[in-house]
Amino acid sequence: MLSYADMTPSGRRYFDEIEVGEEFESPGRTVTETDIVLFAGLSGDYNVLHTDAEFMKKSIFGERIAHGLLGLTIQSGLFYRTGRVFATLAFVGLKWKFKGPIKIGDTIRLRTRVASKRETSKADRGLVVVERTVVNQRDEVVQEGETELLVERRPA
Amino acid sequence: MTVAATHTFFEDTKLNDLVTSPAMTLTEAHLSLYSGITGDVAVEPGAVAELLPLCLSIGLGWRVPQPPLAVLAFMSMDYQIVRPLRVGDTVYGTSRVVSRRTMREGGIVIEDHEIINQRGEVAQRGRFTFLVARRPA
Repeated sequence: MLSYADMTPSGRRYFDEIEVGEEFESPGRTVTETDIVLFAGLSGDYNVLHTDAEFMKKSIFGERIAHGLLGLTIQSGLFYRTGRVFATLAFVGLKWKFKGPIKIGDTIRLRTRVASKRETSKADRGLVVVERTVVNQRDEVVQEGETELLVERRPA
Repeated sequence: MTVAATHTFFEDTKLNDLVTSPAMTLTEAHLSLYSGITGDVAVEPGAVAELLPLCLSIGLGWRVPQPPLAVLAFMSMDYQIVRPLRVGDTVYGTSRVVSRRTMREGGIVIEDHEIINQRGEVAQRGRFTFLVARRPA
């Protein structure tokens, strides 16, 4: 059973408490037209794929689709809502595949699995590799990949 | 699928062409808007959310003299966060075509991207794979 001693004061979990193979699923989030319009405005990416409904009617998608990076960043946000967030010190990198479109009204959720963890040259932190799968309401994988995180070790 | 004429099509891409974007100062406003839209926050305490500069760099890439790449699909990326960025830092992006090959529907273009801060240090870097449209006949 998880005890408060295993967590930082803010409830985040140390490297030592994270188990290889542990899995989590996030709540769902419905991606709306508003999300796409706001993301275009923030990022400055006004590609027709995301902004021109008439053009996209004639495309293989039949309608506007979300930016790939909007899906990536929403799943990153959903990770914080899986409930058992790590005591992460740094985001090292990610490998990512955009497998299918996220359309307006689709509801996506994040499934994660801790793929591996290893100690580093610094005694106060370890590397955790998290496999991530983003699925839509039909359970189709729309994005997947893995992220590498440096996570704080429990103070000795 | 056809794409409007003001684009860089697969035939127009050239190996090793280096494109440098304008710069942008990272502000609290960017962070607030970003967190509000995505729910994402910085992993590293005190840093700008790690994926925000990546998102901004894509938009900065639309503000270069070359027409935007006629992307049909963003297929994959391999990305590293090299050093943290903070509010007040000013970043720009570079991209370079490192591979291009013809496909039935268009072409695969692989680009190396870097995000560079005001001291000339690489803050983030990655390799992106795009499916790019051919020039309409």
